Amino acid sequence: MMAEQFIVKSVADLDRIRDEYHANRRQYQSEVLICSGAGCVSSNCHAVRDALVKALEDLKLREKVMLTTTGCIGCCDLGPVMVIQPDAVIYTRLQPVDIPEIVHSHLVLGQIKLDRTYRDKRSGSYIPYIKDIPYFKKQVKIALRNCGSIQYDSLAAYIARNGYQALAKALKELSSEQVIATVKQSGLRGRGGGGFPVGIKWEAGRNAPGTIKYIACNADEGDPGAFMDRSILEGDPHSVIEGMMLAGYAIGASKGYIYIRAEYPLAVERLELAIGKAREAGILGSDIFGSEFRFDLEIRIGAGAFVCGEETALMASIEGERGEPRQKPPLPFQKGLFGKPTIINNVETFANIAPIILNGSDWFSRYGTSGSKGTKVFALAGAICNTGIVEVPMGATLGEIIFDIGGGVPKQKAFKAAQTGGPSGGCITEDHLNTPVDYDSLVKLGTIMGSGGLITMDEDTCMVDMARFFMEFVQDESCGKCVPCRLGTKRMLEILERITRGEGREGDIELLEELGEIIKDTAICGLGQTAPKPVISMIKYFREEYEEHIRDKHCRAGVCGDLFISPCQNACPAGVNVPGYIALIAAGRFRDAYNLIRKENPFPAVCGRVCTHPCEKKCRRAQLDEPLSIADLKRYVADTALQNEEPYLDLVFPKKGRKVGIIGAGPSGLTCGYYLARLGYEVEVFEAQPVAGGVLAFGIPEYRLPKEILKREIKLIEQVGVEIHLNTEVGRDISFEQLRKDFDTVYIATGTQFSRKINIPGEELPGVYHGLAFLRDQNLGGEVKTSERVTVIGGGNTAIDAARVALRLGAKEVTVLYRRTIEEMPADAREIKDALAEGVRIIPLVAPVRIIGSERVDAVECIRMEPGPFDVDGRRTPQAIPGSEFTIETGMVIPAVSQYSDLPFINRDEVELTRWGTFITDRDTLMTRMKGVFAGGDVVRGSDVAISAIADGKKAAQAIDKYLGGQGVLNTGEEIPIPAASEEPEILEHERFPMKFLDPEERKTNFNEVAVGFHKLNAIAEAMRCLRCDRRV
Amino acid sequence: MSCDTKPCECGQESDKEKYARIDQIITEYREKEGSLIQILHLTQGIYGYLPLQLLQFISARLEKPLSEVYGVASFYSFFTTRPRGENTIRVCLGTACYVRGGKKIIEKLRDLLGVEVGETTVDGKFTIEVMRCIGACGLAPAITINDQVYKQVNPDKLQAILEKYR
Repeated sequence: MMAEQFIVKSVADLDRIRDEYHANRRQYQSEVLICSGAGCVSSNCHAVRDALVKALEDLKLREKVMLTTTGCIGCCDLGPVMVIQPDAVIYTRLQPVDIPEIVHSHLVLGQIKLDRTYRDKRSGSYIPYIKDIPYFKKQVKIALRNCGSIQYDSLAAYIARNGYQALAKALKELSSEQVIATVKQSGLRGRGGGGFPVGIKWEAGRNAPGTIKYIACNADEGDPGAFMDRSILEGDPHSVIEGMMLAGYAIGASKGYIYIRAEYPLAVERLELAIGKAREAGILGSDIFGSEFRFDLEIRIGAGAFVCGEETALMASIEGERGEPRQKPPLPFQKGLFGKPTIINNVETFANIAPIILNGSDWFSRYGTSGSKGTKVFALAGAICNTGIVEVPMGATLGEIIFDIGGGVPKQKAFKAAQTGGPSGGCITEDHLNTPVDYDSLVKLGTIMGSGGLITMDEDTCMVDMARFFMEFVQDESCGKCVPCRLGTKRMLEILERITRGEGREGDIELLEELGEIIKDTAICGLGQTAPKPVISMIKYFREEYEEHIRDKHCRAGVCGDLFISPCQNACPAGVNVPGYIALIAAGRFRDAYNLIRKENPFPAVCGRVCTHPCEKKCRRAQLDEPLSIADLKRYVADTALQNEEPYLDLVFPKKGRKVGIIGAGPSGLTCGYYLARLGYEVEVFEAQPVAGGVLAFGIPEYRLPKEILKREIKLIEQVGVEIHLNTEVGRDISFEQLRKDFDTVYIATGTQFSRKINIPGEELPGVYHGLAFLRDQNLGGEVKTSERVTVIGGGNTAIDAARVALRLGAKEVTVLYRRTIEEMPADAREIKDALAEGVRIIPLVAPVRIIGSERVDAVECIRMEPGPFDVDGRRTPQAIPGSEFTIETGMVIPAVSQYSDLPFINRDEVELTRWGTFITDRDTLMTRMKGVFAGGDVVRGSDVAISAIADGKKAAQAIDKYLGGQGVLNTGEEIPIPAASEEPEILEHERFPMKFLDPEERKTNFNEVAVGFHKLNAIAEAMRCLRCDRRV
Repeated sequence: MSCDTKPCECGQESDKEKYARIDQIITEYREKEGSLIQILHLTQGIYGYLPLQLLQFISARLEKPLSEVYGVASFYSFFTTRPRGENTIRVCLGTACYVRGGKKIIEKLRDLLGVEVGETTVDGKFTIEVMRCIGACGLAPAITINDQVYKQVNPDKLQAILEKYR
């Protein structure tokens, strides 16, 4: 920090200081800016700065390199960061030890030290220049114009950026009316939350009678998730001082208060320093710029009360009282601080004023939408890759902010919602990613802009728990003055708490809505009136989740701990006790482990191979190092147990004399049959194909799921009394009506068996072989020939399976075309990796236009795609790039985009189907509109995964038992005692223990199983990585 | 309350000396409109907390009813009428920290220290408190121990952080 001793009394003074500053700056060859915002301070930027000073001295660069310590540069999670000018190269996540090398390389040798620059999480590549980084590229900085780019504590640096020129101009050239008119015309609205037009407020302040008036700056940035005001105060305090002074001039106030929260000690310190400097320079005080205008500022520090962000409570607190809101009217401009007219704006609002006065209202209103002018600073936090502060023009879409600038949701989790407006706001879902964000559009969606905190939530966030969180927050922060807020929110909190504990009742949702409405209408201040908003908004968009908590006692996000054993068990559609069998594996009790899985899922060996393992996505170990290899362990334990010759004897209840007919011997039908047979029902399964197993038998290649393994588990199902009739198609070999007569109930689980057409010209040509048919013919032993070159279209497991089967059948060149990016492929990540290792080529962002050929397929014409607007899944819809067509020569095309079901045996008038041809069933019982006819698995869901089909089979078995007079409780055999968790003082990081796979060269010419499995020691060690989240204190 | 359980820069300063300093502050601020909160801040900085006797002292010196002084002291979460431990752990439970697992930090701290939020460990080492957003949302979940901010805290690594203060 340089000594700054100067007096500023005229524009000429300002010009001189600016020019001297720049002249001094030009003497340096380059400038190193190091971020010293509070975020980087907690990332230890001071040590980095010290290292920098030392490195510059060691290399004798102090005379050549200007070192500037700035406020927040914006990208908090990358901190500590530094930017080297003139090229604006950014170095991130700095450690003091990195500095000498970077300094030497960049400043001495002139070479960018690439591997210490910004790394794009998606592409993995380094982007050294700020101008190329998506996070910075789309921003327009007005309020943050100096934040992160000037020495935070230098008045001269501020003046060098035309600081205080606006004030000087106003005092010299503009009347107070003209200042107000300019602000009015600019369209600036209050940035603190309400969005009230600033000019109109000021005009009211000016017109209010009285000689003593006050300006107050609301720096009580209490909205959790908002930290832009803090950043401005820490990085560019003079912009706020100048804005307040202009406001003071406009309304005729000579004193201002800045009310700042005690949680921001660094901001207080820097603001105090700035005020002191402004006073010393004669900017604050009397005869400002030689005019009659006098103005001074005082800081008032809060003491930790959220309600003090409400303007009347804020004034009470400034006056040293309890921060309780006061009845309005009188409004603050009539009777504010100490009973005098007072104008209150927040930090960001004031930071916008000087540029508006200096550059004119037209310049400002160029940015933004018709109702919301200028820019808005957002604080990105929560489940988002790039956290930090960004400033974008009003009207940028939510998708742009979250995905383009924010980099999307980390760890391949799905975007769920964004929360704005803190405890007074609401949420926005993926349906609104294309919505331009401004004051009015957000209100329409049931939320508010608020101060700009934007918290992204991913699939791991429970919307009931979130509502509970906000209610608890409001309960904590309610000042207690009015009953609706003090007691009403208490009641709402109690209801939400009982729902999250699994004690929710029917009618609770409606009760919350009713209470919310009443509190909104009757509370005194903004805090209370808006308190129910987060709850109401979450119910509006996520009602289903509330219903699941209340009816099914299920929390899909895995947050409400009273509703499940562990996050992994909760994530398993079949509810397998994952920590239980992992603990049994760790104890070497493999047979018990296998049986524990079979209590909930009769296909452990199959699922150990083909399951999409949603459990692993929720594994808490991932926070430490890597999630447990749950599916691989299941495979290991099932294989080990099945090799054992000892027969399995499942406990079967005595026969009930009731019969259940099941159509389809796939995972869903067989699971349903298994549990019903164990309850004592007579179960017969009708299967059109010559083998049992459904898609497991004919849709999944041998190298992933050996037929022998599947047969063994089906045999155990037959052993409990399930009778399977192969080659028996309902509607051909036996009529559906007959089935209904012969059986007490029927469960339809026929799956989706037909490949959907892609509907492009040439699809009928010989050489076009649809994915599922291709796999089925190969699996069932048919003669399947491929050509030398094969092109697969699609990105799911069927597409990858088809590609790898084609390779094994002798194709020399296999290409997969997918219209989105590889990261977006729905196929299992390991399958994609294995396919690539075997030489399959994947071309992302490409769609087929037509298949070319006269007698046979000769080629596919394709077009390149680019990500377009966001669709309802929160994914970007691919859009064709005109003129980017190209042709791939090929002898065979395998379209594998999706499958659909067909039910020739049912009269369509009798049931209700969706427009995709799937059944509509009762959510709780899976019964169709036909009495006694149930349906589940893919025929209801559309193409889905095996474990969901299994879960449906279980659910149907319960419902059928109830329908036939039972309790709906499955017979899962005897209790298996689970070893207690051991207490470990500290958990050490350890990645997954390895499992063996066949070498790509060794496997790609045959159908031998690719995964070889765990060594026993590795399996036990891997099981011991489990954190035992099932442990209860 | 003696000095040895309190973290104040004053070292072994006696109660009498502290009262003298507080008295000085009150003299300095009493003429300034609406300064009660600032006085309480400074007083707590000196004394560590605000016991009833101290509030009575302030009330008498400011010639304000004790009810008013106590009302303000009890309203704001920064003020405490109970002594704190040697180290105050504040867990941020703002939305961003909550979404990123702040609750798990609280659970783990309860486990490790055996006390609830708002309580002090038997050995007087730690007090656990909850804060509503410290503005470190970009580095969530965050905690502060005394004035040091710890960013992106992993519950499984809390033990190591606490060790530094033992």
